[in-house]
Amino acid sequence: MTTVDRPRVRNRRSRDWLGYLPYLVPGLIAFTVVILIPFGMNIYYSLHKWKGGNAPLRWYGLGNYTDLLADEQFWTSFRNSVAMIVAMVLVPTVIGLLLATTLFDVLGKRFGPRVASVLRATYYLPQILPVAVAGVLWNWILNSQTGALNVLLREVGVTDPPNWLGSTTTALPTVMLVLIWIQIGYPVVIFMSALQRVDPELYEAAELDGAGWWHRFRAITIPQIKPETFVITLTCTVAALKVFGPIYVLTRGGPESSTLVPSYYSYLNFFDKSKVGYGAAIANVLTVLIIAVAVVIMVLQARSARREEEGR
Amino acid sequence: MAVQRKTVVAGALALALPLALAACGGDSSGGGGSDADTLTIWHYENDDSAMGQAWNKAIEIFEDEHPDVTVNVENQTFEQIQKNAKIFLTGDDVPDVMEYNKGNATAGQLASQGLITPLTDEAESRGWDSTLPASIQTTARYDEQGLMGSGDWYGVPNYGEFVGVYFNQDMLDQYGIAVPTTFDEFEAALATFQENGVTPLAEAGAEYPMGQLWYELVLHYADRELVDDYQLFTSDVDFHGDAFTQATEKLDEWIKAGYVAADSAALTAEDMGVSFINGTYPFMVSGSWWFGRLTEEIPFTWGQTLFPENTMHPGSSGNLWVVPENAVAKDLAYDFIDITLRPEVQEVLGQAGGLPVAGDSSAITDPKTKELTENFEAILDDDGLAYYPDWPVPGFYDVLVSEFQSLINQSKTPSEVLDGLSSAYESGKTDLLEG
Repeated sequence: MTTVDRPRVRNRRSRDWLGYLPYLVPGLIAFTVVILIPFGMNIYYSLHKWKGGNAPLRWYGLGNYTDLLADEQFWTSFRNSVAMIVAMVLVPTVIGLLLATTLFDVLGKRFGPRVASVLRATYYLPQILPVAVAGVLWNWILNSQTGALNVLLREVGVTDPPNWLGSTTTALPTVMLVLIWIQIGYPVVIFMSALQRVDPELYEAAELDGAGWWHRFRAITIPQIKPETFVITLTCTVAALKVFGPIYVLTRGGPESSTLVPSYYSYLNFFDKSKVGYGAAIANVLTVLIIAVAVVIMVLQARSARREEEGR
Repeated sequence: MAVQRKTVVAGALALALPLALAACGGDSSGGGGSDADTLTIWHYENDDSAMGQAWNKAIEIFEDEHPDVTVNVENQTFEQIQKNAKIFLTGDDVPDVMEYNKGNATAGQLASQGLITPLTDEAESRGWDSTLPASIQTTARYDEQGLMGSGDWYGVPNYGEFVGVYFNQDMLDQYGIAVPTTFDEFEAALATFQENGVTPLAEAGAEYPMGQLWYELVLHYADRELVDDYQLFTSDVDFHGDAFTQATEKLDEWIKAGYVAADSAALTAEDMGVSFINGTYPFMVSGSWWFGRLTEEIPFTWGQTLFPENTMHPGSSGNLWVVPENAVAKDLAYDFIDITLRPEVQEVLGQAGGLPVAGDSSAITDPKTKELTENFEAILDDDGLAYYPDWPVPGFYDVLVSEFQSLINQSKTPSEVLDGLSSAYESGKTDLLEG
């Protein structure tokens, strides 16, 4: 009997898989056309010296990659990526969590859910503002001579206000502050919906046991919203590594490369310098890094989920 | 990508579409196209600018002379064409004639990438090579590596531009300063303003103006040979040689003396222009492209002069008309380019302050415009156009910006700035020459 049954089961399974195939085909085609082929072409270009257009491609092997190792600006751009992760992941996630719990626990309960949702939308506003518009806005505020901030500072007696985007010491922190402003609404919205998912009975039980706000936050809120925290960390880290728009509109990597990031550096080589192979190599390194970081975060997430399941 | 379309009605578009599609299926190298019945022009000039007015006049003449041809004009932005040209020109859906920036890093790149059509035969048969002054022709010709100055014609300029000194006459009068005619007088004027608590030079570190001021100083100490070495790679350039060193040290001295605002590293050219227009600074060293805007917006008495004592000046032909390699109506494109060089079109340019390259200033009625055009003609007569400092190698613009930001912020010495410029120039030159 078993000898007869086994192939039948296997057949059914393979038939099931075949049944799903038509639904996978559009996605596979789109993935191939939009991701796989361009990525393959990018790898191909990165192995050449090429000006672009109809100019001839000259084989350069791994030359572009070895050139990168000795390129100081390339390393600067990756060092700045760490600052981008601080500004787009670390700080917004922590502040976002605090804001979301305050809105949910305190303001939502005291002034009603409508007030909380209006405030949530306010925090989210910079996220829907096109980055070019946000850049123009912040340039108006931060312009060293005519910007609103320095005009205000001079009004209150500061004779030599900081040159926010023009000095190598202040440009990167200033860009980071703008990024935090842009980014903060995203974790707030996700965390607030996560908090709504948490069973209120857990809080009630903890309260009956005499747990204060901090204890409840640490023992219930943080573990309960762990999946959302992973999602935010993953998406924001990827966004931080490939950040381009805000740098383009605020500083173009300056002054003196102090705000250079890999994606802008790739663009600079690709378009301005017509060093297509070199620009492609930078983009490939960035892609590999993003995939590696994403895999690490996803492994950690899976491990944490498994641990939770086992704990249960 | 397409911005506003004008001139063309929907019906004409509907007619043009099958033609364009038919053309796509044809010879991708582009044919003669003398029998084509649509001419597609891309440019990025505003209708009210001198160039915009002149191009409209040229289109009008073209339409009169080619009644069976529909002219399809698309206004793009400078940035759109500048950044995307090397991508869209590889396709078949390209304009027949297009305005494009000139120089090794721009038109030279397109030429070396095989994306634009050599125009030497047309230049010879239509006489463009005798109409245009020699220093204007430099930007029209590129060799196989995309270096300007020799090789085939790839573009046709029909207006010019140069950098000079704009001054606020009211502020000069206020402090009893005469319009400087020598370098010493210019420095003395800067010092007088500074002593009176007025920062004399409107500047912008985040964009081109600071590099152009530096280049004016280089040209003060340099000769034509150095300019040709630097721009045309006729010989190697020593960035620690006299002219570059003296210029960079002088600029550093001016920054230290407070002639340039210490907080100008992140300011844009627009910031600079607006602050000059607002009367914050008495001097602005910048290009003739500001002329129309200043005429429109400045409420005080102002004037314009050449950088004192310089025999060479940053400047060149204006942007070029280029014909994409994949263009369909190439013959019509050549006809159009030819029309833009005619006296009646050049006169429209000149009257509006657009610095015609094939006209004469005697017809210009406005005295200020006439003075500007005469200044430009004087530069042309002296073979005094020295192009722009960022032209020699692709990507040098960003290097200049970054290095002069270091000088404004006083985070690098002049010698370190020259080191930075030298290494970027040398590696860019190697890349260019190796192809």
